[in-house]
Amino acid sequence: MDVLTVKDLSVSFYRESGEIEAVKHVSFSLRAGEILVIMGDTGCGKSVLCKSILKLLPDIAKIKTGQIFLQGKEITHYTEKEMQKLRGTVFSMVFQNPMTALNPCMSVGAQIAEAVRLRNPELSRRERQDRVINLLELVGIDHPGERAGQYPFQLSGGMAQRCVIAIALAADPAVLFADEPTTSLDVGVQSQVLELLLELRKKLGMAVIFITHNPEVAAQMADRAALMRDGELYRIGDAEEIFGKTIPNNCGRID
Amino acid sequence: MRRKSLGRPYLTIVEELIKFVLSIFLLSVLVFTLSRLAPGDPLYAYYGDRVEKMSMEEQETARERLGLQESIPVQYVRWIKGAVRGDFGISYQYKRDVKEVIAGRLGNTLLLGGLGFIIIFVLALFLGLFCARREDQRADRVVCGIGTLTSCIPDFWLSLLLILVFSVWLRWLPGSGAYSVGAEGSLADRGRHLILPLSVVVLGHLWYYAYLVRNRLLEETRADYVLLARMKGLSGKQVLYRHCLRNALPSYLSMMAIAFPHILGGTYVAETVFSYPGIGTLAYESARYQDYNLLMVVSLLTGSMVILGNLAAKLLNGRIDPRMRLKTGAFKEEAERW
Repeated sequence: MDVLTVKDLSVSFYRESGEIEAVKHVSFSLRAGEILVIMGDTGCGKSVLCKSILKLLPDIAKIKTGQIFLQGKEITHYTEKEMQKLRGTVFSMVFQNPMTALNPCMSVGAQIAEAVRLRNPELSRRERQDRVINLLELVGIDHPGERAGQYPFQLSGGMAQRCVIAIALAADPAVLFADEPTTSLDVGVQSQVLELLLELRKKLGMAVIFITHNPEVAAQMADRAALMRDGELYRIGDAEEIFGKTIPNNCGRID
Repeated sequence: MRRKSLGRPYLTIVEELIKFVLSIFLLSVLVFTLSRLAPGDPLYAYYGDRVEKMSMEEQETARERLGLQESIPVQYVRWIKGAVRGDFGISYQYKRDVKEVIAGRLGNTLLLGGLGFIIIFVLALFLGLFCARREDQRADRVVCGIGTLTSCIPDFWLSLLLILVFSVWLRWLPGSGAYSVGAEGSLADRGRHLILPLSVVVLGHLWYYAYLVRNRLLEETRADYVLLARMKGLSGKQVLYRHCLRNALPSYLSMMAIAFPHILGGTYVAETVFSYPGIGTLAYESARYQDYNLLMVVSLLTGSMVILGNLAAKLLNGRIDPRMRLKTGAFKEEAERW
């Protein structure tokens, strides 16, 4: 079954200098529990595509054409209020740079607890704290009780990204958007985080939209892959089909 | 990253205290020397125009009596010996102990400056939030326009305008002094005298800080963590209050601590125009008439307030932004409190 279906989606930015078409007539669907990798060069519209689905774009960006369906229900014209209910419950997101994505002034425990509280307001303070500890264990952080009281600047990049993932998982999402989640990390840490995401997907059964410009990472993660160029999604298919043969030259080549 | 907690907070306090004493000492040397190097004759402060009728010998004796004959270092040593015992000498102009002269007026300035500071502090935050939430919408633009206009009007001109309108034409409010003769104890009367000078202090400074808050907040709303916070399902308003405000507050607080002398300076102007008996008028007069002893105490007092303001900002920053925490071992306890 498809969790998310995007049909003929076009997104433009309207500036005084004119219209900039960032996403052009993109269609794809995301099956439950699968990892769909969206790959393309910097600036090809990958992030804008995701943010337009989540309605996180600034006001100057507008959806021009197309429809978005979540579990068969159209959400294209959902209001900000309605989207707020989806964010943090059905949708979650992991960001490129964990060090700036976390609020520098709050302990990571408090930031995860906030997400837990929004998702499960019925939990007591105690239960919420237990849930935070569970989440931290789930993303593979040792001594979660101690870590929860620390601030982002006291964590390494990999550790911080695990915390961001923990925040995303607090939502218990049906769809997780991962926007280049390993680009800002060291290579060693990169593979750890990728392993973690694969493992979590298996454990929790969520669908993942994984954005990257790195073909190796793409090949490692993908169940299916979509290739983007200049705002157009020009190819989509199973991983073997895409990576088994030639890689389009704008993405380099892997053997 | 946790620091060793062995006696750190205690050490920090001692450290800050030493810094405070050193700064005040340096300030006293500086003001002492500069005031004596400045042109002008302190005898005028003491004797007024009678100086002109005094013979050279009489002037010499007078100077000697006031201790103005020796070299500056000798004078300074004598001054500081008295100062540590709490004796700051007499005011040449008022011919009374400096402490008495100031004590009678400090309350008035603290009332005006303190009230002004609090009102500016709260209103600026409120206005800043109001505008930041409505960035570039009509309400934001209108407030920004009015704000810029008021902050461009010079304090003294605004004061005169207010006096003209409210005390001369409308006769609603008194235009000078801190209380009416014979009504010293009446709070209502005091309040009425405060309204105009307070308006000048607030209007003259408010927008500068409100605009600062607005722009700091808008800067924060473009930070990455805002997206993450919104992905948790928070509304834009919630993100602004719970996340952005928290990040903007430290710089606002340190800004406001630095604003302290700025606003104090503003009250000095207002005091002078409204003939309000505070230390602002004293500062102005003592510098003008070479009333050395008075000038010293007024400067040191102002200096201490500025330094204490900065110290307060530093401590507050540490409480809000953990990265700026003073050297304490407080991280451990933090772990229990999230």
